[in-house]
Amino acid sequence: MSIQIKNVSKRFGQFTALDQIDINVDTGELIALLGPSGSGKTSLLRIIAGLEAPDHGSILFHGENITSVNPKERGVGFVFQHYALFRHMTVFDNVAYGLKVRPRKTRPGKQEIKEKVKELLELVKLEAFAGRYPSQLSGGQRQRVALARALAVEPRVLLLDEPFGALDAKVRKELRRWLRKLHDEFNITSIFVTHDQEEALDVADRIVVMNQGKIEQQGSPEEVYEHPVSPFVYDFLGNFNLFHGRLKEGGLDYGQEQAEGERGSEPLKAVGYARPHDITIHREDIGGECIKAVVHYIHRVGPVVRIELKRIDTGEFLESEMMKEVFKELKLDAGEQVYIKPRELKVFIPEDYSI
Amino acid sequence: MAGHVPMTYGETSVSRKTVKGGSPLIKWAAISAALGFLLLFLVLPLMAIFVQAFEKGLAAYAAAVSDKDALSAIKLTLIVAAISVPLNAFFGIAAAWAITKFHFRGKNLLMTIIDLPFAVSPVIAGLIFVLMFSSHGLFGDFLFRHDLKIIFALPGIVLATIFVTLPFTARELIPLMQSQGSAEEEASMTLGAGGFQTFWRITLPNIKWGLLYGIILCNARAIGEFGAVSVVSGHIRGMTNTMPLHIEILYNEYQFSAAFAVASLMSLLAIATLVIKSLLERAGKEQAGIKELKE
Repeated sequence: MSIQIKNVSKRFGQFTALDQIDINVDTGELIALLGPSGSGKTSLLRIIAGLEAPDHGSILFHGENITSVNPKERGVGFVFQHYALFRHMTVFDNVAYGLKVRPRKTRPGKQEIKEKVKELLELVKLEAFAGRYPSQLSGGQRQRVALARALAVEPRVLLLDEPFGALDAKVRKELRRWLRKLHDEFNITSIFVTHDQEEALDVADRIVVMNQGKIEQQGSPEEVYEHPVSPFVYDFLGNFNLFHGRLKEGGLDYGQEQAEGERGSEPLKAVGYARPHDITIHREDIGGECIKAVVHYIHRVGPVVRIELKRIDTGEFLESEMMKEVFKELKLDAGEQVYIKPRELKVFIPEDYSI
Repeated sequence: MAGHVPMTYGETSVSRKTVKGGSPLIKWAAISAALGFLLLFLVLPLMAIFVQAFEKGLAAYAAAVSDKDALSAIKLTLIVAAISVPLNAFFGIAAAWAITKFHFRGKNLLMTIIDLPFAVSPVIAGLIFVLMFSSHGLFGDFLFRHDLKIIFALPGIVLATIFVTLPFTARELIPLMQSQGSAEEEASMTLGAGGFQTFWRITLPNIKWGLLYGIILCNARAIGEFGAVSVVSGHIRGMTNTMPLHIEILYNEYQFSAAFAVASLMSLLAIATLVIKSLLERAGKEQAGIKELKE
């Protein structure tokens, strides 16, 4: 089932939740809507499910306009942020609900429902919990019940709102992988909302980065991570270091001394971005645009060592990441003076810049 | 009445914990003060009712209770309750549903209006209906021409009772439904259930204890309402007298033991209501408790 979102806008009073959103989702794709809270991602998901109506624009399922179709007829599976399990029903009844409420003509028989639910509970590994109530389950178990319940109606589209938001880190990772597997097995079209960039990069085929009701960028995880089109996307997809400087031919002058110089006529101010793992540390000045810095603090836990540095010229803090082996070779200590150089610097030209 | 606390599930386990390290002296002082107060202002008067009721013996009691007018008052009271309580339950559900599940203009106004009967004196509530439906009232001409009787008849008493008991169910349900949110209803919709199915299978089971509790309180008030009913009833013996009005008449006629005999019946009704209420509370807690056993 392909989904087309055409020119969708939605306002809540004075607040613009969505501003002319266009997204095409191919059959079988797993899409992440990534953005901070208030970026409109959940509103968009609710509009796709029919729980909210757009002010403008339309939603097409497989080329068919379903904008005014009731949620109960859309055939979507929706997994709510806090699961929204029916608290007065057992796990079994929760999963069976979608089948039990069908009109008599299409409703499966009792035995059939029982088998189907059993099958789904096996899939989510909760066979032993069929008789329990939601409040007797852990967060991860509830999440799996919510998924099984959504899948019971054999939806054409699976929508998940912050599916792993309320779980602890370990369960989250496990469920993430499991969701990917499930998506591939069921060959279903899925869209999930998240504010966790790691989750989006890890699971999705394609990421749609949203900000203030608009799409900032969409593309594969590699594309958005390696080639962010705006400072916002760069910022949102991971840690970064800022280098203030002035534009020059072929790059950015970020060394304080040069930047202060009188070279050229009115060089344009700009900001360069570098990921921590792209900041290299050297004991000697290796030429080029090395910056002097002092090692401020070293986080050694884990395979990656994080080093906080303080620039000597501007006093700004930078962060570098390196593998433990590299770190051991360097033999750094706090307080030492080093030379740093960004391996790669992403420069965004300010919007008001014109030639 | 205005200060009753809605039933809460889940948090009870916290509030049950005793404070450790508190002085036993303070504890016993607090307990005896509370008990003493209850004894003085609730138990003693209640006992006085029964003592007075049986003062002239069992036969006099039986006579007072089985008196023609008394029976008619009991019957009228039960009829009024039977009509007004279901209507109020229906209104309460509808209002709470509208307020908690939808966004619309005038929502706050609606909530304020629901509380109005709590703020208005019952006598004024009664007078409102007299002003509207009496022969000199707003609709007096119309009613007279069509030979419809509202004031000094059953419809008036029912109207006044509904007015006075209006907030009970709604007030009980609104906080409950607000805390539950509408995510479960939305989940039900996306799973293919229609509006009625969603209400019947999801909303109603979730609010049933709160609803029953509201109905019980509403019922107690409907039976006991005096002020508003007194204004619209006309005190016609054997016809428009409810139990509280009948008691007042008997008392004013110096038939003390008869008055107290009927009053004792009402007290029994009140005690039964309280028992049912606490049973319901326990059932609600148990239901919540079972589910939280393993948490």
